[in-house]
This record gives sequence, C-alpha cells and structure tokens, in this order.
Amino acid sequence: MEIGLTHYLIVSAILFALGLYGIVSRKHAVMVLMGLELILNAANINFIAFARYGGMNIDGQIAAIFVIILAAAEAAVALAILLNIYQHFKHVNVDEVKEMKE
Amino acid sequence: MTDISQFTGELLKSMGLFLPETTLIITFLVAIMADLISGKKHFAGYVVMAGLLVTAFFLMRQTGIESASFAGLLVIDPFGQFIKFIVLITTLLVIMFSFISKELHHSHAKLGEYYILMTGMVIGMFLLASSANLIMIYIAIETMSISSYILAGYTKEVKRSTEASLKYVIFGAVSSGIMLYGMSILFGLTGSLSLLEINTFLMNNSVESITLLLSGIMILAGFGYKISAVPFHFWTPDVYEGSPITITALLSVASKAAGFAVILRFFKVVFSAGLGSENVAWSIIGSIDWHFVIAVLAVLTMTLGNLVALWQTNMKRMLAYSSIAHAGYMLMAVAVLDNTGVAAVLIYFFMYMIMNLGAFLVVQLVADKLDSESIDIFNGLGYRSPLIAAVFTLFLISLTGLPPTAGFIGKLYVFSSVVNAGYLWLAVIGVLNSVISLYYYVRVIRNMYLRDIESTQPKLTFSVSALALVMLLAIPTLILGLYFSPVIEWANASIAIFTGH
Amino acid sequence: MDLITIAFYFFAALTLGFGAVVVLSKNIMHAAFSLLFTFFGVAGLYVLLHADFLAITQIMIYIGGILVLIIFGVMLTTRITGVDVKSGKVGIFQLTGAIVLTLSIALLLLFVYTNTHWYQPESIPMESTAELIGTTLLTRYLLAFEAASILLLVAIVGAAFIARKKH
Repeated sequence: MEIGLTHYLIVSAILFALGLYGIVSRKHAVMVLMGLELILNAANINFIAFARYGGMNIDGQIAAIFVIILAAAEAAVALAILLNIYQHFKHVNVDEVKEMKE
Repeated sequence: MTDISQFTGELLKSMGLFLPETTLIITFLVAIMADLISGKKHFAGYVVMAGLLVTAFFLMRQTGIESASFAGLLVIDPFGQFIKFIVLITTLLVIMFSFISKELHHSHAKLGEYYILMTGMVIGMFLLASSANLIMIYIAIETMSISSYILAGYTKEVKRSTEASLKYVIFGAVSSGIMLYGMSILFGLTGSLSLLEINTFLMNNSVESITLLLSGIMILAGFGYKISAVPFHFWTPDVYEGSPITITALLSVASKAAGFAVILRFFKVVFSAGLGSENVAWSIIGSIDWHFVIAVLAVLTMTLGNLVALWQTNMKRMLAYSSIAHAGYMLMAVAVLDNTGVAAVLIYFFMYMIMNLGAFLVVQLVADKLDSESIDIFNGLGYRSPLIAAVFTLFLISLTGLPPTAGFIGKLYVFSSVVNAGYLWLAVIGVLNSVISLYYYVRVIRNMYLRDIESTQPKLTFSVSALALVMLLAIPTLILGLYFSPVIEWANASIAIFTGH
Repeated sequence: MDLITIAFYFFAALTLGFGAVVVLSKNIMHAAFSLLFTFFGVAGLYVLLHADFLAITQIMIYIGGILVLIIFGVMLTTRITGVDVKSGKVGIFQLTGAIVLTLSIALLLLFVYTNTHWYQPESIPMESTAELIGTTLLTRYLLAFEAASILLLVAIVGAAFIARKKH
C-alpha cells in the first residue's frame, strides 16, 4: 500500500496518545513538559501532512513554524519557573507541590 | 506573487485600524526603557497608565467600524471593541490597585517587569479579542498566557506564589497543546486556518460530525481553560489563591473577558450561517447540538463553583470559586448562541467587572492591614471599619445578584435571554445556583456584623486614596442597579461580530 | 517496497519507538535523550512530506534549542550524581486511569482518522518550500510574524525576571 495521508495521521494519533500518557502518568514537571512536546509534535505532523495532501497548502507549514517558535518560548518560561520552584521545594513533582489546602 | 502596490495599500489601511494595538506595543517598549533609566518604583506603572489612556482614545475612534484587516488575520468590529474596553478599564484599575498594594511593596525594590508584563498581557488580550485565524488565536492566547504565568509567580520568594505559577504554566501549556491539536484536525477537515474561510467551506460541504465534534471539543478545552469552565477549571483555586491579589483580580476579569470573546467569535463565525428566522438566533451549520454541549459546560461550571465555594476558609479561594460560578452564568447565555445571548454576556461582563474588582480590592485592603486572607479576619469588620464593611456588603449582594445592584441587572438579562430562547430548564438550574451562592456570600456579611462585635480590637483606618478607589467601584455598583440603560444600549450596539457575509 | 515506503516506516518507528521510551522510562535522563531521536524521526517525516524548511527548523530549534533547555532543566532540578534521577512514581490507581484514558483517546483518534474524508484536492508537489514560506510569512501572515516577535520579547523579559536571583 502506498504511503498516504492516513499513515501520517496514525503516527500523529499515537504520538498524541503517548504525550497524553506522559502528562497524566508522571509527576516530575520536566517529564510533563516532555509529554507536552510530544503533543505539539503530533499537532505539527498533522498540520504538515494536511498541507502536503491538501493541495500543497502552505498555511499548514506556516502554522507549524509558529508552533515551533511558541513551543520554544513556552519551554523557556516553564523551565525558568521550574528552577524557581526547585529553589523553594527542592523537587519539582507537580502533585507534591502543595502549600495550599482545599 | 502578490501585487506589491496592492499589498502595501492594504497594509497601510490595516495599520490605520491597528492603532490601539500599535500604541500598546510602543507603550510596552517605552516601559522597558523607562524602567531601565528611572529608579522610581512605580515609574513604569505611570508610563503604562498613560499608554493605556492613549489606547482608549484610539479605540474610541473605531466605534462602528466593521472590517477585516491584515489579510483577514484580525477583524475590527464593535463586539471586539467592547471587550477591549473591558480589558482596558480592568487593567487601569488593577494598576491603581497595585500602587497601594502592600504585598507587592514588600517584595521588590522596583516593579518594572510587573507593569511591563501586564502590558504584554493586554496586547495578547487585544489580539485575542479580534483574531479571526486559528494561528493568530494561538499566538494571542500564548502571549497573554506567558505574561500571566510570570505575573502569577511575581512575588517569587513567597512559596505559594511560585506554586501558583507552576500549576498555571503546566496546566496552561497542556490545555493549549490540546487546543492546537484540535485546530490541526479542523485545518485538515476544511483546508484553511481562517475562520471566515472555514465557515464558507462548512456551508458548502458536509463533513463528518464526529470529527468536527472532536476538534471542537479539543479547541473548547483551550478556550475553556481561559474562562475556567469546568472541567478545565482545576488550576483556578490554586492560582487565584497563590498569586498576588492584584493579579488574581486581573485574571478573574480581563483574561476571562478575552476568553469569552474568542469563544463567542469562534462559534459565531465558524458555525453560524448568518441569522435565522427571527433575525436573532444564529442558524447553526451541521447536525451537532452545540447549544447542548455549551449548556452542559455551563451547568457543570456554575454548580461546581457554587458548591465548592460553600466550604472555603480563604477569602481569595472563595472568590476564585465564585468567579468559576460567574463564568457558568455567562456560559448559559453563550449556550443560547444568538444575538440577545451575546448582548447578555456583554452586559453581565460589564457588571461583573465592577463588582468583582470591588470585592477583590476590599479583600486586598483588609488582608494588607491584617496580614491574613482567612474569612475570619472579616469578623467584626462592621465595627472595626463601618464604611469598608458597608461597601463590601454591597459588592457581595451584587455578586449574589440581588436588587438594587449591578449584579441583579446582569443576571436579569442573562436569565431572560436564556428563557426567551426556550431553555427553561437551564434558567431554573441557574436560579437554584444563585440561591446556593446566597449562602456563602451572606455568611461573610453575617460574620462582619454579628461576630466579635463586643471585641476590643482596634478600628482599622485606610488611606484616602484607598477609600477613593473603593468608592470609584462602589458607586457604579449601586447606580448601575438603578440606572442601567447606557450599558444596555452600549452592549446592544456591540453585538455585531464581523462574519464577512 | 520502494525507498519512500521504507523511509516512512523507519522514521515512524524511530518517532514512536523513542516516543514510548520518553513516557515509559524510569530514568528521566534516558527520557530526555530519547526525545532527541523522536524529534529527529519527526524531522524525517517532514522531509517525506516535502517540508524541507520545516525539517531543518525542527532540527535547529527543537533539537538545538528546546531539547538543550530540557536537559538543563533535568540537570538543574535533579541530583544526577546520586541515585535520585528518578522521574517520580504515581499510584497504581492513577496509572490505570492514565492507561485507560490514553487507550480510549488513541482508539477514538484512530477511528476518526481512518473514517474521515479530509479536504484533499489535487496536489502538486514542489521542489523547495523555503521561498514560498518566506513570501507568505511577510505578506499574508505579516501580523502573526510580528505578534510572535512580541511574544518572544515577553518570554525573554519574563524568563529573565523569574530565573534571576533576588536583588
């Protein structure tokens, strides 16, 4: 079978599910961020695959470029916040950071 | 290749419509410079205030304009203008709150970055209020989110403030990632990123409902996060409690306004095929019952917000749950998906802005005096500071939605739009929720007047500027409950969302 | 099987295989390095999709920038010399929930993806996309391009403020 749009979409779907698994099953904040990067990459595969098979629509590639830029900015800010958390709590496990009570 | 002279002509026209945002960007850059050269603590704050006033002037001049600009990335319309005014007024008030906040004064020699990032957030919210392209929406949401992640953790030597910032950034990044994935599916279905083109495509072609529903729900997750709709609300209590209170006030009003703007615009532009039979209701494309999807969100949001608010002991946390509940009331009017619903959301939001900022300001003043945010510090406030207690009572009554206050008018319009559209069951749930909310708001009022009245605790005195600021919010809360027609007229004139057809 | 098919399966396996290692690995350092191969596999898929410029961007920014940031994050927030490079465990209940959630989402997506008629007009593959991306970015997406620059400035101001020491 020739490689077509559906093949790429299946890769993207599995990558998205893996990312989601990483986010909900891990406590370490850096691990959560890695799961997030998988989700963003899955979205980008979608954008570019749809661009390729949707009549070489350049909009999909433009979208992917912006996603990469924004992912970099977000990662930088998130890691700065993590460092700050580490100075206070000496760990970065999301559910153990609990100063506030219900 | 685009014809270059035609392109520059359109660009110049778009720049003319972009003046408010241009002013904000210049303000942002000037504030950075001003902070570098001046040693004064609030200097950047004054610069930003001046910039926001100039922005308001340019925004005023856009009254009545309906046009697409920047090749359809942005649209200028009265609806966006209304939301932008809410954002501007809120930010101006929050900057004034910051001048008198003790919490912020403790921690930093200078507050340059605080005001600079606030401007960045306003730029993001302005772009979000008028974005008509999926990628533009994503960039706008990220601009406003990144600024607010930092602002939530601004008092970075306070443990719970850093915690607020961590939770906000982790959950925020995940929800915007899921939203982006939904956008990529929508792009695949329709072959376009522009909301107007997606709408044209959906009108002329039929697409699989389940795929559209899936992408719609994923996108709604990102938007729902911004307005803290259940089940995307879980960050709200911790972030609202941990952030500096001025930022909590800003997040609870301005960033929600921008979130509602993008939700209404998205549903109106993408899923409506113009006005339906009675010239009010939107005829929704496709077989998906979006009314029901949003109505379910609304019911979950207000019920959870009100029920959990019942047993809160921290004032900021209680107001956080109360703000979740208010987002639920407004979602009811969104679920109607018609023009009276849009007007009701705008009216409610204007009232909510005034009363909610007022409540947060009182909490800020009292918490700064007594170094605690527990509900107990309000015990006996009726004796310790009769004026502040009376004003706080007014704000709480207004938040409950009882006459003669602004909150009553807002609720009246929301409920009547819901009933008019035939969703009686939704309105009944809304009224039941208001009854629940009465309990926790009135509990605070009771504590102020009926607890600790014989105690010998000293009276509290507040500075003149603080009292003036409180009255600035209290007087409209009362007046708008009695004389409200200007707001109604303004909102009714602002329901036009640019759809290109 | 032609070369394209082999390349696709190679890159897809690289992406998903190491993607699985990223989320399943007990050692957070292994996870971070596996992410490198995942990003690389995705870049390979971009090449197969005629997105040459994007493939280079992916390698430069994701691998050269974001991954380095993440590895710094790992090293600065865990004691790498000791045994404490663990990525944090969760309870069995939460783990089961995560597996059920992930599987159901994955199955739903796979079902939707294989049963949807996507927008697919006739495609004309092109040689290089860099020029077209350049002109589009500076004409139709000019505002988005400028807005992204504001966003980066906001991120720089914010990250520098949060990460610097008290003064």
